[in-house]
Amino acid sequence: HLLFCVDRLTITYCRSSGPGGQNVNKVNTKAEVRFHIQTADWIPEDVRQKIISQHTNRINRSGELIVTSEVSRYQMRNLSDCLQKIRDMIAAASVKHKQPSQEDVALRRYRIDKMNRERLQQKKMHTAVKRSRRVEFD
Amino acid sequence: MSVPKNTGGKGLDLLRNLPRISLANLRPNPGAKKAEKRRGRGAHGGSRSGRGHKGQRQRGNRPRLGFEGGQTPFYLVIPKYGYNEGHSRKPQYQPLSLNRLQYLIDLGRIDPTQPIDLTQLVNGRGVTVQPLKRDYGVQLVEEGADTFCAKVNIEVQMASECAIAAIEKNGGIITTGFYDPRSLSLLCKPVPFFMRGQPIPKRMLPGEDLVPYYTDSKNRGYLSDPAKIQQARLELARKYGYVLPDVTKDELFHMLTTRKDPRQIFFGLAPGWVVNMAEKKILKPTDEKLLSYYSS
Repeated sequence: HLLFCVDRLTITYCRSSGPGGQNVNKVNTKAEVRFHIQTADWIPEDVRQKIISQHTNRINRSGELIVTSEVSRYQMRNLSDCLQKIRDMIAAASVKHKQPSQEDVALRRYRIDKMNRERLQQKKMHTAVKRSRRVEFD
Repeated sequence: MSVPKNTGGKGLDLLRNLPRISLANLRPNPGAKKAEKRRGRGAHGGSRSGRGHKGQRQRGNRPRLGFEGGQTPFYLVIPKYGYNEGHSRKPQYQPLSLNRLQYLIDLGRIDPTQPIDLTQLVNGRGVTVQPLKRDYGVQLVEEGADTFCAKVNIEVQMASECAIAAIEKNGGIITTGFYDPRSLSLLCKPVPFFMRGQPIPKRMLPGEDLVPYYTDSKNRGYLSDPAKIQQARLELARKYGYVLPDVTKDELFHMLTTRKDPRQIFFGLAPGWVVNMAEKKILKPTDEKLLSYYSS
């Protein structure tokens, strides 16, 4: 499990949105976490690129990935939610699909060709039926 | 001993000098006897004697408690349901918010330089616990976690995860401990117990349902493994994104790491001891059987 250093992240708090009267107007409960994604050497290079491609909408012009959370009434809980979101993003980007082996590729090719042959055969049978029903003047 | 003890000296002198005691010489202390309220002796001969005018009220025939004049009473309208079963026997935990704890520390009602226990909380009038009403102690609630900034060694009966994180973030230590109802009433009112002259009983272990709670290091249970507690502290710090302050390098390290033995009720007093408040002495048992019983 990736151990990331909180020092590398910039954490700010601001006021949340939504109803709540005086409390929501005055208390800083929304947590925002930013870090520069290109220089984040605690994430492997390929995962970094994957994150950039998947979450371009969260990266601002200066290249910082921004994650916010205003789920709960407590700063601490919102901060932990942000960190969990970052962990989930990294986990989703680190997923490596299995490369199909030689035999799997060959099997897939064989199956696709067989499907196409079957389909064309069915079409020919159908044309024969339709032709036999036609009345031709010859 | 320079002065020979004169046992009962003052009393004997009085007996010798004062006149014979009789009913004419005796009188109760002022305020000891309060005259009872007697009905039917007021102006105009007492007339209705505080009972009102005619009807069931005056004639003493009012219906039972809960009767609503024939309408189906409230306590019968509400249907019984499974989730309410045994509600009067369920253990209750008085909530203590971090807001309130900070307030008490700031006002000086609770001393953060000493380990904080339920006794300290009750002495500082922070919480009111009623052991006879199925209260099993105090639970720490995370209201005020964002503005909490006190380093304390606190022992409660239940605590939520965010509250544990808030306390450890500020360099404190939190433990959850179980007190059976008798031990809890001793903890809340120690002085009346000491006046009784009974030996301090040993704290009972939790019942089947609560053992998993108190053996779990995530809840900082008093029966859990200390190594796992340290690991849980690190994990919580990672989850909530703060740097865990090192307790070993603290000046108050000795105070912060004081913990009670699972069978101990009071700090500094072991089960089996008798406390004499009048002469300010502690009596410890010497018999082997008693010692083996109390140390088991």
